[in-house]
Amino acid sequence: MAHLTRRSFVGAASLLASPALIRPAFAADTVKLGCLFSSSGTMANLEGRLNHVVRMAADEINGRGGVNGRQIEVLTSDPASDWPLYAQVGRQMLQQEKVAALFGCWTSVSRKSVLPVVEQNDGLLFYPLHFEGDENSKNVVYVNSPPASSVLPAVDYLMGQDGVGAKRFFMIGSDYVWPRTINKQLKGYWKSKGIPESAWREEYVPFGFSNFQTLVNQVRSFASQPGGQAIVVLTVVGSSIPDFLREFANQGITATDVPILGLDMVEADLEGLDTAKLAGHLNCWAYLQAAKSERNTKFLGDWASYVKARNVPFSADTVIDPMVSAYDSVQLWALAAAKAGSFAVPEVRKAFAGLSFEDPSGYTLTMTGENNYVSRGVFIGSVNEKRGFDVLWQSPNAPKPVPFSPYG
Amino acid sequence: MSGAMQTVLAPPAGPARRAVRDPLVAGLVGLCLAVAVGLLVARPAPYLVNALGQLAAFAILAVSLDLVWGYLGILSLGHGLFFAIGGYVCAMHLLSHGVAVTGVLPDFVQFMGWKSLPAYWAGLDHPAYALVLALALAGLVAFLFGLASFRSRVNGVYFSIISQALVYVAMLLMYRNDTGLGGNNGMTGFPLLFGWPMGSPGVATGLAVAALVALAVVLAGTRLLVGSAVGRRMLACRDDETRLRTLGYSTTRLKLGIWCLSAMIAALAGILYVPQVGIINPRVLAPDLSIEIAVWVAIGGLGRLGGAVIGAVLVNGLKFWLSAAMPEAWPFILSGLVLVVVLVLPNGLLDLVALRPRPTWLRSSR
Amino acid sequence: MPVLRAVLVLVCLALVPAPAAAASLDRVGFVAGLCDDAAAQVRAAEGLIQSAGEVPADDLAFAAGLLGALAERRLACPADGALLLDRPGASEGRDALTGLARATPDARVPVLGLRQRAAVETARGVTALLTGPDPAARAAGLAAAERRIATVPAAVLDRARDAESDAGLKERITGLAQAAALSSPDPVRRRAAIAAVAAHPSGAAQARLAALKGDPAYAADHAFRAALDAGLATVSRAVAVGDGLAVVYNGLSFASILFMAAAGLAIIFGLMGVINLAQGEFIMLGAYATYGVQEAFRRLAPGLLDLYLVAAIPVAFCAVALVGIVVEALILRHLYRRPLMSLLATWAVSLFLVNLVRVTVGTQNLQFVMPAYVSGGVPLYADFVVTWNRLFAIGFAAATLVLTLLILRRTPLGLDIRAVTQNRDMAACLGLPTRRVDRLAFGLGSGIAGLAGVALCPIYSVNPGMGSGFIVDSFMVVVLGGVGSLLGTLVAALGIGGANVLIEPVSGAVAAKVIVLVGIILFLQRRPEGLFAVRRRR
Repeated sequence: MAHLTRRSFVGAASLLASPALIRPAFAADTVKLGCLFSSSGTMANLEGRLNHVVRMAADEINGRGGVNGRQIEVLTSDPASDWPLYAQVGRQMLQQEKVAALFGCWTSVSRKSVLPVVEQNDGLLFYPLHFEGDENSKNVVYVNSPPASSVLPAVDYLMGQDGVGAKRFFMIGSDYVWPRTINKQLKGYWKSKGIPESAWREEYVPFGFSNFQTLVNQVRSFASQPGGQAIVVLTVVGSSIPDFLREFANQGITATDVPILGLDMVEADLEGLDTAKLAGHLNCWAYLQAAKSERNTKFLGDWASYVKARNVPFSADTVIDPMVSAYDSVQLWALAAAKAGSFAVPEVRKAFAGLSFEDPSGYTLTMTGENNYVSRGVFIGSVNEKRGFDVLWQSPNAPKPVPFSPYG
Repeated sequence: MSGAMQTVLAPPAGPARRAVRDPLVAGLVGLCLAVAVGLLVARPAPYLVNALGQLAAFAILAVSLDLVWGYLGILSLGHGLFFAIGGYVCAMHLLSHGVAVTGVLPDFVQFMGWKSLPAYWAGLDHPAYALVLALALAGLVAFLFGLASFRSRVNGVYFSIISQALVYVAMLLMYRNDTGLGGNNGMTGFPLLFGWPMGSPGVATGLAVAALVALAVVLAGTRLLVGSAVGRRMLACRDDETRLRTLGYSTTRLKLGIWCLSAMIAALAGILYVPQVGIINPRVLAPDLSIEIAVWVAIGGLGRLGGAVIGAVLVNGLKFWLSAAMPEAWPFILSGLVLVVVLVLPNGLLDLVALRPRPTWLRSSR
Repeated sequence: MPVLRAVLVLVCLALVPAPAAAASLDRVGFVAGLCDDAAAQVRAAEGLIQSAGEVPADDLAFAAGLLGALAERRLACPADGALLLDRPGASEGRDALTGLARATPDARVPVLGLRQRAAVETARGVTALLTGPDPAARAAGLAAAERRIATVPAAVLDRARDAESDAGLKERITGLAQAAALSSPDPVRRRAAIAAVAAHPSGAAQARLAALKGDPAYAADHAFRAALDAGLATVSRAVAVGDGLAVVYNGLSFASILFMAAAGLAIIFGLMGVINLAQGEFIMLGAYATYGVQEAFRRLAPGLLDLYLVAAIPVAFCAVALVGIVVEALILRHLYRRPLMSLLATWAVSLFLVNLVRVTVGTQNLQFVMPAYVSGGVPLYADFVVTWNRLFAIGFAAATLVLTLLILRRTPLGLDIRAVTQNRDMAACLGLPTRRVDRLAFGLGSGIAGLAGVALCPIYSVNPGMGSGFIVDSFMVVVLGGVGSLLGTLVAALGIGGANVLIEPVSGAVAAKVIVLVGIILFLQRRPEGLFAVRRRR
């Protein structure tokens, strides 16, 4: 045979057209949910956990009888931290597998890649990370907080009496949309408070950057100049976080000299660090593992047993905000689908208005019909010696989210 | 040896001319056109249409690399750069066009705090200008880089390393958000193509058909090129450049010309790829991806244009399928495939298929 | 009359206040403050600092115990009083005032915010300085108090100095006390304070002195002005020197990392013309081997855990060298005439290794115990801090260089390698087993990469993908330095590291990298054989 005939090509193509996604063996009458979280590449260590959380949530709902009489089937994939591949797999899940909803993305880049796909196919993407806001698509459910409820409370704390009365700010971020937008909004906020431009400084580093010696030296000399207490607003992501913290601690700067507000810092980033010298640095999320509530204790126990039972290759003792938000996403979707009595996206979307769910953080999550944002509580966490965060402050209730920032 | 060289240079006559015809390429050209027609008639699922279109774009890219590697002996590990040039200019056109029609500024302009598109975007909403600009820019970059390298007689592995470094530098530059090209997020959210909305099945089919037709044209064109006198000079240059130079031919001019042509074909692939995948960002400039292009060509068949197409379609098809079905296994399968091909099948998978014995002068010496 | 005198004496005695009793710590109030809101905690800590000059030692020890418990989250605050727990989260503890055991049903454990943390740290430092059992503890307390010396009153420092037995420590306290007198009304003390501050230059000291320029005494008092100007000049110069030293140090550190990543590659590429795209993964394997050694020590010899880095050196070298030899024997052996194919083959090997490690060990960053000799740093001069982990890397790189040169120059294997690099065919004619030399050299190059992995563990996060960051950089170093020349690699590494570090503060990390790479590319277009080309005949 010298040529590939048309028949064989079409045959191969049809094989391509119906690939077997990872799915457990189920009866025919199931409803499918798709996951867009990477298990390889730079985001693997963080996103990989979320696949398992979504499965755990689905198991829990199936144990209660499923949704609208059907069992949930979770399809996972591996976009390999390759942003166009998120769009590719998303398109496949929506068009081929006809999933009822997608749960995915961590970086804003990946979300923005998937956005055109869900909009063109009228799908629904539940996005579990806190982000820069300034977006309100009817096809995305923003399960976590925009800056008004995830960044500003912590900055206010630091600038206030209880904090350090911060007057000068050194912003260090990875060079992409989230840090740039956050910093833009922060600058607008500080301008509105009358803080002069000379009081802040902005530096950006590439993804995966790890050689922070020079930057830490610059932070030190910035802090020693007159004008008030300086803080570092850290919006680097991924492995840059532990590398920066390590260099900071090695050069002998402590949180009481120059505190760091690490906006993407989670418990998982402290693995492998000696946090005795880092005690006192802050982060801000909608959930902290140290949150005191019965539901949290139950969730932590459930996760630990799930890890042991299914041999999940992640720590059983570390639970981070995106994991809880992913869990909340599945529960919210199930509640909305049950309330609407259907899986069709327009019906489910109508059912968001007035939805409420009590999640492990101890707050009651609510959604109004005005937008696809979810009200979350606010926690400010402080690094402790045990590679975790203590709850330094938490909001009395779950404030209404503000999608579009008034500051810049 | 010089006798063989003469045979290579002179156009073959009689029975040798028949040996020039390449049934594989002819078959693939026919196949592309047939599938294109089939897409227009049968209207299969949009996902399949999109996948075929992307595969066609990758195949064009592989052909462009095979042109310089298989036929000229220059392994470029930076062809992603030209692919990206085409892709970025196309994205800029789509976004300019969208701004001109809808008046809404794209995302990345908004979060940088700018009030309008940067100055050098002017005029890009005209498709003809964008096309010409993409090809010309790719050609220009290739010309400058090639001129410096070929004149200094940088060859072989050194050229490969330098091309890797070049694409890495381009990636770092493009990651910066202040270049006005979307930075790390890249550019996405293309609203319209020639006035039609991007997501509609008609546009998807049209793009896939355009890609397939372009692939057929590129295949036919390059086949004619390598079958011509220029093609024979290319092979001679690959096999022994010094001798060709002593015979009086200007190898620098030859290499430079083919190198620029290859860059423009790669840019064309980028132009066709970006509207189908809906996003471009600096990931296409990752050094790894440029190495993967070489992997496609090596697996399919180095020095055979049809082989490049088969390699690209096979590897990317497997990737689309397996990264959903068996994501854990895909990297192992890919590395295993590369090792097997490199060790056992030195001229790619086409060695497996018992074709008419290749003429000696087509056999690769790399 | 005697009765009246006695009564008068008694009345006078009663009126004279007992000095010790009046200045003692209000323990109940202190405990209540620590269990109150944030402002009260700060008041309690700062109040302690202010009065530490007179408070008796046992009160100080009491306060120190409570503050330590508060900092370590061992202080529980039930409705009344406070409880000291043995460890955080314990179910029962001892009452802070009485010492009796009490259960802790749901008692609140306060978490220190930043403002309280600063005050509590300083208060603990002060109490340690005054009541520490040995000079080391007192010195640690002094260091903590020094960070916020402005809040520590002179009386405290005086008391500490008077009670101090250790001579060196006494001198330090005296110097600090002098420096604290910057705003004292006595001009002589002020000038002495300026000199004392200038004696320990730093950016913070510069800021403190510069702030004094606004002081009215600057315009009025001539001697003050002269002293301040002189002090500022000294400090500024010292800070500039310190910054220069920091740049040199950073450049050396970056260069040492580049050198170690590229050294093995130089040998392999020079000898065999093989581009080893798996070099980064060999570095990663070396780091994972180090982790394996750490775990082995943890299980078998936990007392010697701090030495795992040293013990990992031969282990990493041999393990990765073995992997290299296997790769060479199985794959590269067949590809010598086809260097471009060997490039693809090593790329496939790198892909395989990354995913193998990812699937078997996992994607998370490995947790390394950081022994004292690679954590922290010491401020050497002004703001220049020598961080131990990078010093370790620099030393390691130097040792690697020396060792590799020794191997290449003094051993038979090295001689063979050099011979085959220069003229493979002639060496074969002379009877050298070139294939075996290739195999061993590949092993040597891989082993050196493994050593680089060991040195990088204290600096970078270790995960399966850590190798990909080194590829382009190491290749640039090797090609720039001149293929086959180890000294060329060294010079190129120093040059690239230095250039990067010099440009970075000016235009940012990314621009620095871009400029350096473009410079190298342009240089290589002109002179493809690099800086120090090994003369060879092929």
